[in-house]
Amino acid sequence: MTAISYYISNTKNEVIKLKKTFAFWLTIISAVIFPLLLFIVYLVKHEKLIPGPGENPWEEFMFKQIKNTIPFLIPMFIVLITSLIIQVEHKSHGIKHLFSLPIPKWSVYFGKLSIVIISIVTTYIYFFLAIVLFGHLLGVFYSDLGFLDIQPDYWRSAKMLGMSFVASLGIVGIQFWMSFRFKNFIVPLSIGMTMVIMGLVVSRAPESIYFPYSYNVLSISYGAQVPLTFGISSITVYSLFCFVVTCIFGYLDVKRLNVK
Amino acid sequence: MNQLIVDTKNLNFSYTKTRKDIENLELKVPKGSIYGFLGPNGSGKSTTIRLLLGLLRKQSGSVALFGELFNSKTRLKSLDKVGALIENPSLYEHLNAVDNLKIAANYRQNIPKGRIDEVLEIVKLSHAKKKKVKAYSLGMKQRLGLAISLLSNPELIILDEPTNGLDPKGIIEMRALIKELNEKYGTTVFISSHLLSEIEKTCTHVGIIRNGKMLFQDTVKALKSSKGKKMMVDIEVDKFIDAMTVLEKLQKENTSLVDEFLQIEVEDKEEITGVIDALRAHHVKVYQVSIKNNLEELFLSLTEN
Repeated sequence: MTAISYYISNTKNEVIKLKKTFAFWLTIISAVIFPLLLFIVYLVKHEKLIPGPGENPWEEFMFKQIKNTIPFLIPMFIVLITSLIIQVEHKSHGIKHLFSLPIPKWSVYFGKLSIVIISIVTTYIYFFLAIVLFGHLLGVFYSDLGFLDIQPDYWRSAKMLGMSFVASLGIVGIQFWMSFRFKNFIVPLSIGMTMVIMGLVVSRAPESIYFPYSYNVLSISYGAQVPLTFGISSITVYSLFCFVVTCIFGYLDVKRLNVK
Repeated sequence: MNQLIVDTKNLNFSYTKTRKDIENLELKVPKGSIYGFLGPNGSGKSTTIRLLLGLLRKQSGSVALFGELFNSKTRLKSLDKVGALIENPSLYEHLNAVDNLKIAANYRQNIPKGRIDEVLEIVKLSHAKKKKVKAYSLGMKQRLGLAISLLSNPELIILDEPTNGLDPKGIIEMRALIKELNEKYGTTVFISSHLLSEIEKTCTHVGIIRNGKMLFQDTVKALKSSKGKKMMVDIEVDKFIDAMTVLEKLQKENTSLVDEFLQIEVEDKEEITGVIDALRAHHVKVYQVSIKNNLEELFLSLTEN
């Protein structure tokens, strides 16, 4: 078997393992919940929300929504989804079984990490599609809201979400390592949640560019004010750096782990 | 027969600095054998198995599987020939048996599609293959764990306390299955257990471990003969004093009364008939006679201080 086939078979198995799990549903629920709530608010209070002349309704419905929800939603989702996905393994005493199979340990670690990343990307995509869909539905129900008259700036929103995704990778690396390391999912979950809240609280301080849990809110809300490194946003560089370092050290640590 | 499938030399491991959990262990499992790894709870059986599979990092010594030193270079090649069931089987309970086997098959190379049904048939779980594992009984889970370890037709199967939590019927079935695998396919089977009767009924070879040290390692036959030829027999009678007098006349020494049973030592089974005849001739009623398990005593004497 080649490295690629080990990786593919591992990732394929991770998909089967997610079948009928809460982790699978969480990916959809997290993505849809806020757009759905805002959709209901618009349905109920549509008269008050009719845009003024020349105003783009998508500005409020799409961009403000991204700014208000993503910095909290995505880090929380990452903390939950990494714990849940690896918990499937811990719960079934799976690590000892996987590490006694004739497959390289890296394929187990990175196969699982890949499925975590795929889940996060899927949530971003569902979130984006839910906003577009609900916006258009509102346009159909109440034409005076103007959602069908102007098309949203798809590129701008995709760019925002993309930047937010890259800014989240740092905490993906940290949370994934912790979740793999601790059988008790309360440990990564409680540390992660505390860090996410801290990340939001300290995000106004200039030093927050050194705290990965603040990167999401920094990328969405303070994108333009963040200093540059190598010509690109510092948080993009630091987040990627944090991701690579935690992945390497995480794997080396797990590889040497005594599986009891 | 002499080729060793598992061969460890001076194996040492400790979880903590204060205590050695495995000490200079020399484990020798011959090809084609059913090797019983026997020891009380906490004696280091599971730790040894984890060391064999590379789940724990040994502190010193060596492990050779299939005649090759087990290290990071040979790991994949060696594990490819091993099927293992370590303590509680690793099962995804939210999935059914087929999905669990599919996952295990995906991890291995070249497992034909029909093999999943075959192993389900071997462990007699075909009727429940679409049922979620969550709804399985402990015995069924254990059997599914075994099915997973059988998937790749391994040369060596390592089973850690496979009959744990099984009911008597399940234990008998598991025993038959292990023997069948060994006889039909020549699979070497390594079973750990804390129950001597289990090992005695199934195994050809035995290793007895206590506090991480190997106390005895040989064939089960050799273990039995090491105790000598004499047998202990328990007899339940109505009149103990009369019975004792009869036994004295028969010049039976080493007679004792234990838990309302007369305990005597005999050379062979033939002698038991003579004792019963003599007791009956003196109008002593005999309710039951049973031969005590010598090995049980040997095991206890070996594993207890």
